[in-house]
Amino acid sequence: MTAGLVSVLFVAAALVAVGAFVAVWKRDLTAALAGLPLMFGGAGVAFVGASRFAAAGGPPAFGQEVAVLLAVAALALVALGLGIAGRGTSR
Amino acid sequence: MDSLHAIGFYVSAAISIGGGLLVAFLPARESRGVALAVAGLGIVGLYASLSAGFAGLVALVCYAGCAALVAAPQYRVMESVVTGVWRQVGAVAAAGLFGVLAYAAWRGDFVHFAFYGGGINSASVGRLLFAHDTLATEALGALVFVALVGATAAWRLRDRSR
Repeated sequence: MTAGLVSVLFVAAALVAVGAFVAVWKRDLTAALAGLPLMFGGAGVAFVGASRFAAAGGPPAFGQEVAVLLAVAALALVALGLGIAGRGTSR
Repeated sequence: MDSLHAIGFYVSAAISIGGGLLVAFLPARESRGVALAVAGLGIVGLYASLSAGFAGLVALVCYAGCAALVAAPQYRVMESVVTGVWRQVGAVAAAGLFGVLAYAAWRGDFVHFAFYGGGINSASVGRLLFAHDTLATEALGALVFVALVGATAAWRLRDRSR
C-alpha cells in the first residue's frame, strides 16, 4: 500500500469540498464558520503533499510553512467571525 | 511512502473527512466542536504521515482553538435568510467543486514541479518563518492579535449594553 501525490490531492480536494459544504449547509452563520478551518486544512494538505512528493533537490520546508500560516489564519478567521457575531443566546 | 505511513495517511484522511461531515450534520454546538476537533486531529495525522511534524504541531494547537471557539455556548445564533433550495444548490456546488478539484488532481501534470529548497526539519521551518518570510509571519500574528482583541471588545461592549 502506498500513497502518492494524486492521493494527497484527492484528500485535499475532499477536505476543501467538505468545508465548502459545511459553509453553505448550516443555517446558523456562526456554525457555518466551522467550514473555514476545513477548507484551509485541505489547502494546507495540498501544499504539504506537493512539497513532499514533487520537490527536487531535497525535501523543502515551503509546504510546511504555508500549512502553518494557513492553520493560524483559520484560527484568526474563526475568532474574528465569532467576535463579530458577538455574545448572545446559545443554541 | 512506506506502508505504515500510507496506512496512517488513509486512516487520517477518513477521520478528517468524516469529522468534517459530522460538523455539517450534527445539530448541537458542543458536538460540532468535538467533530471539528476530530477533523483537526485527522488533518494533523495527514501532516504527520507526510513528514510535516512541525506543521502538524502548530495545526494541532490551532484546530483545538477553533474547536473550542465553535463549541463555546456564548455566541448568539445568526440565522441565514437563504432558503432550503439555495442550500441544496450550494451542496451540489460543493460536490461540483470536489469533482473539478479531483479532475485537476487526476489530470494535472504535477510531475515537473520543481522546488529547490534546503533540508526539512524544525530549524529550517523556523528559519523560513522567522527569517525569510518574517513579514508574512508578523502579519498573521497581527491578524490573530487584532481578531482576539476585537472578539474580546465585542463581548465586553455587548455585556455593558445589557
